[in-house]
Amino acid sequence: MVEIMNDIFTYIIGGKAGEGVKKAGAAAANLFSEMGRKTFKMDDYQSLIRGGHNFSAVSTSTDDVYSHYMEADLIVNLDDRSYNLHKEHLTDDGLIIYNSGDTENEEGIGLPIDEISEDYSKSDLIKGVAGISVLSAVIGLDKDKLESLIEKEYSRGFEENLSFGEDIYDLAKEKIDKRVTLEKGEDDSPIFSGNEALSLGAASAGLDMYIGYPMTPASSILHFFAAHKKDLQIMPIHPENEISVANIAVGATMPGARVMVGSSGGGLALMEETISLAGMSESPVLFVLASRPGPSTGVPTYTEQGDLNFALNQGHGEFPLVVASPGSMEEAFYLAGEMLDILWTYQTPGIFLTEKHLSESSMNIDVDPSKVGWAEPKKFEGAGDYKRYEKTDDGISPLKFPPSEDVIKWNSYENDEKGITTEEPKMVEAMHDKRRDKNEKLMVDMKERDTVNQFGDTGPVIFTYGSTTMSVREAVKAGDIEAQIVQPKYLRPFPFWELEDHMNQEVIVVEQSSTGQFASLLREKCNIVPKTVIRKYDGRPFEPLKLAEKIKGAI
Amino acid sequence: MTEDLGTYAENTWCPGCGNFGILNAMKKAVEKLEERDIGRERMLISAGIGCHAKIYDYLNLSGLYSIHGREIATIEGMKLANPELKVIGFGGDGDAYGEGLSHLIFAAKRNNDITMIVHNNSSYSLTTGQMSPTSEKGYKGPSTPEGSIEQPLNPLMVMLSSGASFVSRGYAGKIEHLTDLIVEAVEHEGFSLVDVLQPCVVFHDDQYQKYNEAVEILEESAENRYEAMKLTEETERLPIGVFYKEEQPVYHKELYHDLNVVEDKMEQNKRIENVKKLLDKRR
Repeated sequence: MVEIMNDIFTYIIGGKAGEGVKKAGAAAANLFSEMGRKTFKMDDYQSLIRGGHNFSAVSTSTDDVYSHYMEADLIVNLDDRSYNLHKEHLTDDGLIIYNSGDTENEEGIGLPIDEISEDYSKSDLIKGVAGISVLSAVIGLDKDKLESLIEKEYSRGFEENLSFGEDIYDLAKEKIDKRVTLEKGEDDSPIFSGNEALSLGAASAGLDMYIGYPMTPASSILHFFAAHKKDLQIMPIHPENEISVANIAVGATMPGARVMVGSSGGGLALMEETISLAGMSESPVLFVLASRPGPSTGVPTYTEQGDLNFALNQGHGEFPLVVASPGSMEEAFYLAGEMLDILWTYQTPGIFLTEKHLSESSMNIDVDPSKVGWAEPKKFEGAGDYKRYEKTDDGISPLKFPPSEDVIKWNSYENDEKGITTEEPKMVEAMHDKRRDKNEKLMVDMKERDTVNQFGDTGPVIFTYGSTTMSVREAVKAGDIEAQIVQPKYLRPFPFWELEDHMNQEVIVVEQSSTGQFASLLREKCNIVPKTVIRKYDGRPFEPLKLAEKIKGAI
Repeated sequence: MTEDLGTYAENTWCPGCGNFGILNAMKKAVEKLEERDIGRERMLISAGIGCHAKIYDYLNLSGLYSIHGREIATIEGMKLANPELKVIGFGGDGDAYGEGLSHLIFAAKRNNDITMIVHNNSSYSLTTGQMSPTSEKGYKGPSTPEGSIEQPLNPLMVMLSSGASFVSRGYAGKIEHLTDLIVEAVEHEGFSLVDVLQPCVVFHDDQYQKYNEAVEILEESAENRYEAMKLTEETERLPIGVFYKEEQPVYHKELYHDLNVVEDKMEQNKRIENVKKLLDKRR
């Protein structure tokens, strides 16, 4: 028996859509997490319901892990296509399992997964249970533990799942002589996807409604709120299209509901008319933009950072717009909460920019909901003569909500302080000034907040943002690279005041865009010189080891 | 009483515009609703963009002046946020039956508890009189100088086939009747449509005469949806009144029962506790 011990252990499970691959990835991630280990899971799936090729890559360590790896120690393939695609991902002393129901292969160990599954009612879906069964055998868990895992992860149709799982486990024990020892860790933080984390963060800030029209990779936010409507009392609404989504949202803010909406690029494009309405009427809606490769329908279930300029330039006309992008699941939690609070303070819309890689990948989050601010606007305390758009020093007009004896008029037209439409030149100018004053106050406020993250104090400077931050952090760790990673969380207003030290400095930029939008932004806003821009735009996130090589090459 | 329902905004509708009739009927309807304990403090209005929408500035009621066709979604949002409020949307035929038609159909399908009053003058008047979804075939406007080649939409038929629970038509020239129609529409629990024949004196100079001759008050509503559909196809006489009305489950109650997310908002400590529970479940 060969025994190996790994610092980072990576497990890949692949197969056809409909074979429970995603669930198998989640079950493995949960198992590692339960062992007190840090875990990162990335699901790679296609835009189809049955067939094709899906896989989950799960990397785990007793130390922090910010990305999955594609070099795997254990690969379980539920079909030939998966085997052929993933055999190149095997580490030198790794173990690859194939489904010998399909073929015999020279390399790896075959298990008759198809043959055994045929005895069960859900013969396709049940195959995924093979993942946790093989994994349990390889990491030396006993049968009781396997039973409890299946009970926890595969409770629907438990009897059949257990029987199938035990058959696979017994065979795996018999045929595989490799064992891996996974040390238990001390981490007890739970695993969440980015979409779940941002939802919980917004919930902690007092969210009342979430409105969405299905579009990958944002749909799971809607599913999350729909599943938890009783616990959270946040209304989940799925209307006829994204235009309706955005306008229901603006309408709901008027009587005081804290509202978030979400979509991907195409959906946000439909909402853009309403983002401008929110800017004019001063409606604080939080728009989540979960990006995927574009243009147009693009590559729906994959990742890219091609929407940065789109996010930064939302809405016709001039109004304060807040754009921020989280660099981890944990940050997604806090940032969504903070943004809701900021938007309600400044009564203006904001874009929470993220990508599929963060939205739908999962990792440990250690968060405290009581540290999230409760989104409260400045409220009108007086009686009578209420002016919705009252001019104030900072441009922020106190809010009053119906029902009310006072008349509260919000408006999409330029308007006077009462909210009555105007075309009068002095008033038009004054209201432009009011919105600009708000933006100036916002800038002052942002200077007091944490707007830029830095990881590492010495070495060459690497700029990145959004989900790519996770890839860069893991790459620097994996490649043992001494570097300073700088990640602006807020992208509009752009925190140039935090980046003065980097002005005219030559830096490395890492982003998932073909044209280098982020590098251009750094040059434009801060005169930062992107010496090397490491780009990736094949829809897949960076792989830490490969990225480490590229960073080393750039240094 | 109705004076204090007005504002200081200068009225810029053309003299003789059908919108005056709708404004007056709305003011009277608010008074009547107040007599029935629906106070103006819990009424919210919205409007699209066009001549009709100026009513937003002329009514001293709270709300949100929305954008073209979206006022339907705007009032849905208001109602979903706080179901204690009565929400009334004003749209033009371009808004409700053109740009925002999908919203109207789905609001009817879902039975959102909203009232839509559509100022239907069969013309895009504010933008210089282009054809609208309800313009007759042959209508000449700047985008159709040789006459519209399209059939007009039958909006009440669309509404009936979308499952609307209250479908009616009024006439801006019959203010008392229109007043009662608005009151009944607002009081109806669920989606209500009031299509209002609104003469445009500039781009349809024969509308008053035509409507005065053809409009006929319905004695009673149709017995069922199909009979109501037949009524919408009448063109010789133009029936006004409630074409069809039925009780249906209301969207926000089906979704969330009696919860009001604004008025009964979960306290911060309770919410945080519940978020913590969700986090702990996965530990």
